[in-house]
Formats: sequence, structure tokens, C-alpha cells
Amino acid sequence: MPADEGLLDRIVNWLPTTLGFKRVASWILVPYWAHKTPVKPLPGGPHASFQHGDNVQCMMNLIMPLKVKSPIGRAEAALAIAQNKDAIYAGLNNVGTVHFARFVIVGDNICMFSVYDGDFTNYIRDFIATIGQVFNAVVSLVEGGDDVIPCEENVEAFIQWVHERDLYQVPDTPTDFLRDQEALNGDRAVSPVNDDLTLLPRKLVLQLRANPNVSLGSGYRAYPGYSAAQVRERLGLGW
Amino acid sequence: MNDIADVQGNILRGYRKPYVRYLILEVADPGAARRWLAASVSGHGDGVPQITPYNWGKDKPDTCFNIGLTYEGLRALGTPSASLAMFPNEFIEGMTARALKLGDVGPSAPDNWPKPFDEPKRIHLIATIYADKKQQLDQVQERALAGGALKKLDTREGCSFEDDAVHFGYRDNIMQPRFEGIHDRERHDDGQPRAPLGTVLLGHKTNLEDLMWRVPQPAALGHNGTFNAFRVLKQDVVGFEDYLDQAASDLLKHKQVDDVLAPGAEAKIGEVLKLKGLTRHGALREVVAANLCGRWRDGTPLALSADTPDPKLVKEKFDYTGESRCPYGAHIRRCNPRGGQIVQRVANNSRRLVRRGVPYGPLYVRTQPRDPGKAEPERGLLGNFIGASLGAQFEAMSCDWLNLGLQDPRITESNDPITGSNDPSASWFDLPLKSGNTIRLRGLPRFVSTRGGAYTFLPSLSAIRFLGSLTT
Ligand code: HEM
Repeated sequence: MPADEGLLDRIVNWLPTTLGFKRVASWILVPYWAHKTPVKPLPGGPHASFQHGDNVQCMMNLIMPLKVKSPIGRAEAALAIAQNKDAIYAGLNNVGTVHFARFVIVGDNICMFSVYDGDFTNYIRDFIATIGQVFNAVVSLVEGGDDVIPCEENVEAFIQWVHERDLYQVPDTPTDFLRDQEALNGDRAVSPVNDDLTLLPRKLVLQLRANPNVSLGSGYRAYPGYSAAQVRERLGLGW
Repeated sequence: MNDIADVQGNILRGYRKPYVRYLILEVADPGAARRWLAASVSGHGDGVPQITPYNWGKDKPDTCFNIGLTYEGLRALGTPSASLAMFPNEFIEGMTARALKLGDVGPSAPDNWPKPFDEPKRIHLIATIYADKKQQLDQVQERALAGGALKKLDTREGCSFEDDAVHFGYRDNIMQPRFEGIHDRERHDDGQPRAPLGTVLLGHKTNLEDLMWRVPQPAALGHNGTFNAFRVLKQDVVGFEDYLDQAASDLLKHKQVDDVLAPGAEAKIGEVLKLKGLTRHGALREVVAANLCGRWRDGTPLALSADTPDPKLVKEKFDYTGESRCPYGAHIRRCNPRGGQIVQRVANNSRRLVRRGVPYGPLYVRTQPRDPGKAEPERGLLGNFIGASLGAQFEAMSCDWLNLGLQDPRITESNDPITGSNDPSASWFDLPLKSGNTIRLRGLPRFVSTRGGAYTFLPSLSAIRFLGSLTT
């Protein structure tokens, strides 16, 4: 801490660490900021990249609010997955680019988390082509889902719908986050990227207000990225 | 609904005209441009050039004329916003927004594209003139531009070489999808299932069971339309030949060289490819070229004849099932894995594209002495990659197959050896040997770079009429 910090500076730095201040800020300050500077939610999914390593083992994180918000609704979701277990395995086998797919119920949401290789739209499209009926069964239980099913007849709209629900992956570095924000505002072409790190907390708070559920980072791997088929081939499992 | 007479020509069958010019146009006056469109399908041949339809009649016209519209073009013409919103995302965003998916990075990045592709939003309409004689191109162009409805931003022009040759010395235009219900005398049986019409036309059944692409409404606008990825692909012909030299020299020193080229095979290769006095080094160059593509330069598929080219073989009919000597990473195998095993099992046959292309720049003659002080003229391919879904076909092929190699774990992490965005420090390509072993070639540079392009919608004749009748 610099020695020449005055009393006022110290108060300003100390205030945000107090619980009372955080409460007041959430009720008044954040909505006021949000009103003054509307922030669009950043799009979900992995960051576009041409590097091979960034294009394998990509994450999809869907959090989909159930229509029926009760134990009954949650049980319906659990049943929909259980009833389609065989189709899910068949789909994974035929699509060939998925490492894991997990279904989780959190609160009144059905969450689908998966790790896949390659382009997101190809992944979803190939899944629709193989096990569209599973998507239909799950999505019919979800708010807003009726507009895009049967997915086989609404391929483009369905892929877009899923993409819109895929969580934003907050980059690991603040500058990348600020860059995403600038790109979204379309001002990349006119202004150099605003790398003013003092604005980071405010921008992050506003983004998390617009986008309450996010993924922190794009998944941390314990080993370099391989495609599902590379893993299967090297383990002699057939692919 | 078999109403394909309404489809523009050159989609379901090629014209095979040697001279091709692309007029890259901006709508200067929306009202006049709509009248221009209406006139282009009016049947009155004296003013605006007439759009060549699928049924061009008994005699192919002297010149052919077709159009494609970008999203900005549809907007400029006053297409209702409800219709615009029904076009697929990739088309709405345009080619430049999809650069990372297409491998348009580094020298291929849209920021480096020359005029008129440096201002993609101004590109509204791309009209193509096909002619038997070069001077006809000017005549048709003059008629197209008369009246000032459309402003010419620039042109691109190409001319076919003898025997369907393209730069890099290969024979092209061997394969095209054969469509259900379409008879094309020029297309021989290729042993592949016929492609459903929905592979290339909106409103028809696609190859992916039960899946239909969205047809922008009204039906008159969307039905029987299709999408085109127009690409200006610069080819580094000298770089390509230099690479073949280097790879052949390396192979000559390799202990398994006789497994790559049987002793004495150079005579047969030289005879078929009409290369007199072919040395062993020269023949190894041809072996490498053949492996990179999956076809010898005369078109013989490696899947049928991996040791020498053979002019007697049918060039279309083969498969990659069982033990094929065509490299997994060869260009034609990456683009169309046919019935061979791939990771994305549902995708076999589903990403097929109609290709219409013409080379640009002068033919390169390797034996002609080069002046090292003089820059080589630009050469390349004006390519059109046509399919009912840009996302499911052109982009899926470019991204997952050509550049990631996801379809086969043995090529994953390598790019297409001919068209891929290769970096010599990381690139590799496995050359298969008779023994089942492979020799890994390294150091492939980028041979093809993108110098422009646009996603266009190729409307049916009814759609052109519909657009021509809009009032705003
Ligand atoms: C300048 C760049 C390119 C060159 C020199 C080139 C060259 C060739 C050649 C020589 C063939 C074999 C001829 C034939 O089978 O008809 C071929 C086939 C093919 N190429 Fe390319 N190509 C280029 C770019 C591309 C791109 C960018 C794509 C797709 C995005 C593509 C897709 C295909 C397809 C689908 C085939 C047919 C494969 C089959 O059905 O067996 N090509 N290309």
C-alpha cells in the first residue's frame, strides 16, 4: 500500500469490503449502473480459435429452467433422461466427437454439460440427426422449448436456441474479458481495446448481472487436448 | 414437387464454358435494381442479360448468365425483414465473420483481402458470365451494367485450361454429387448413393434423415434456392513445385524409398503423365503430388492405383472401405470420405458440395526458365462451393475436416495438405506405404490463401421474379 494514501483513499478502498456496502451496492448502485450503461450478455460457448488444441474437448454448459418448478417437474426431467439412456449411448457412439455428457438437476433447472470436439453447430446438428427425439423429450420440459421442437424440423432455430443457453465462458485473463465486451459492443473497429483494468470490477459485475450463470474459464485440463477418437484409438478401443 | 425447371443453371449441371467473369456489384438504385431483376427473367433478350435456367433448351446458349445475392444485397433490394430473419446465421453474418471456422487466418484473413472484398457490406450481388469467346464477356457485361441500377465494384475473371487442369497441375471436375431424379450424361456411376435434392436445393429432403433446412418465406423466395461460398483462392504454384522438389529429395535419401516408388516405376509414371525422361526424383515428385491430393495428376485415384497412374481406370468409382492406399489425409478423402470409416458416422455423404470453379492467372509451365527477379503473376482458383446449408456442408467440411482432421484420429491435428492453413513449423502429412507403414512428410507451407469471397444466395427464377416485384 503506498505510504502517501490519504484517509479518503483508505475509506474508499475499505468500503467495498464491508457487507453493508455490498448490500447497498447490489440494491441501488448496480441497478443504477446497469441503467446508465446497458450491457448485453456475452455469447456462450468456447472462444473462437484456430488452434487445434482449442478445438478439442470444448465445453457446453446448458442451464435450462424447467417449466414445472416443483419436485414433479424435476422428476419428469429425471425420467426423460432415464427413459432415453440407450438412445443417448447410441447417439454418443454415432456422433463420435463427444467425450462426456452429463445431466444434472440444480434447483428447478435441468443442466446438460458436455465435452465435445470441433465446431459447436456440427456437434448439435449431428446429435439432432442421430437422437433428435431425446432433445425433444428434454426440451419439451423446458421454458421456451416448445418454440424449437421437433428439433429435426427446426434445425437452425434449435441450434441457435441451444447456443443462446450455453454459458458464457469468462476468460482467464481480464484483458480477454474486456476484449469480449468491446467486441460485443461492435467497437473493436473504431477504438483500440480498452484495457483499463480499473474498469474490470464494474464491467464484470454488470456482465454477471446480465448473465447470472457463467462458466469460469473454458475448463482446466490435466493433460493436453485430444479428440475423443484419438483417445479411443490410442487405448485400442476402436473409434 | 419436381419443379426444378425453376432452378438457375449451373447448379445441377455445369456449363463447361471456358471463359468466366464475376461482376461484383452494389445496388446503386433499389427501384432500378428490382426492375433489373424482373427484366433478367422476362424472356426479352435484348436488354438486361437473361438468367440461364436449369432447362436451357436443346442448344446451350452462347453465353450464360447467373446471379447470387448476399444478405446485404437482399436487404438493399427491400426484402421484408420477416423473410430476412429466416435466412441462416452464417449467411446473415457473411463470410468474413466466419473467418476462424474457414481457416481464413494470417495471410488469408479478411483484413488482408484486396478491393472489393475489403468492404464486404458493399457487395450485394455477384453476377457470373460464362462464354465461349472472351469478347462475349465484355458484351454481356455492358448489357448488365447499362442503366445504372447496379454499380460495378470490381470483377474477377478466369479461363479453363485444357483437360480440366487446374493450377498445381491436377485434373479437376471429376467428381460432383449425382442427384436423385436428375439425369446428367456427363456424370458416370461413382458407386456412391445418389444425393437427395435437398443436398443442394432448399425445400427438398436432405441427406440427414428427417432433417429439413429452413426455407425462407414466402416459398417463392426460398424454395429451390441454394447457397454458395464464392472463394478467390490464390495458389502458390512455385511454392508447391518447390515443396515437391524438396520432399522428393528427402524421400530419395529415405531407406524405404523403394517402398514409395518401386525400382523402374518411373518409366510407367512418365509415360502416363507424358513426362519424357522422368528421373527417379521426378517420379517421386509425382508420387508426393498424388498422395497430397488422393489422385495422380491425370486424375487416377490412388484408391484404385497407388503405385502408378493408369489411364484405363474409371476415375469416379471407388471407395475407402477396407485397405485403401489413399492417404487418410489426402485432399479428396478429407472432402468426401465416401463409405470409409469416419468418426462422425452420421456425416458420411451428408456434407457433399457442388463445385464450380475456374482457374485464374496464366498456366504455369515448370520447364520454362524463371526470372528470379520478376514477381510471379497471381494464380489461383475462382471457386464456388454450393450446398443447401453453408453451415452443414461448406463450413462443416472446412472446419472439422479440412482443417482439424477430426474425422479420423490418424489425421487429427493436421490440416489439408493442399488447401489447409498450414504452418511449416507444425504441419505434417503421412504417406502410406505398401507395407502398411507410413513416412511422415513435414514442413508443408500454406499453398492456398484466400484473397476474397462472399456467401451468396442463389435464388430460383421465381425468387428473382418475387424480388423484382417488391415495392417498398
Ligand atoms: C485452390 C484450392 C483447391 C484445389 C487446387 C483443389 C483441387 C482439387 C482436385 C484436383 C480435386 C480432384 C478432382 C475431382 O475429384 O473432381 C478436388 C476434389 C474436391 N475438392 Fe478440392 N481443391 C481446392 C479447394 C477445395 C476446397 C476449399 C474445398 C471445400 C471446402 C474442396 C472440396 C473438394 C471436393 C468436395 C472434392 C471432390 C472429392 C470427391 O468427391 O471425391 N476443394 N479438389
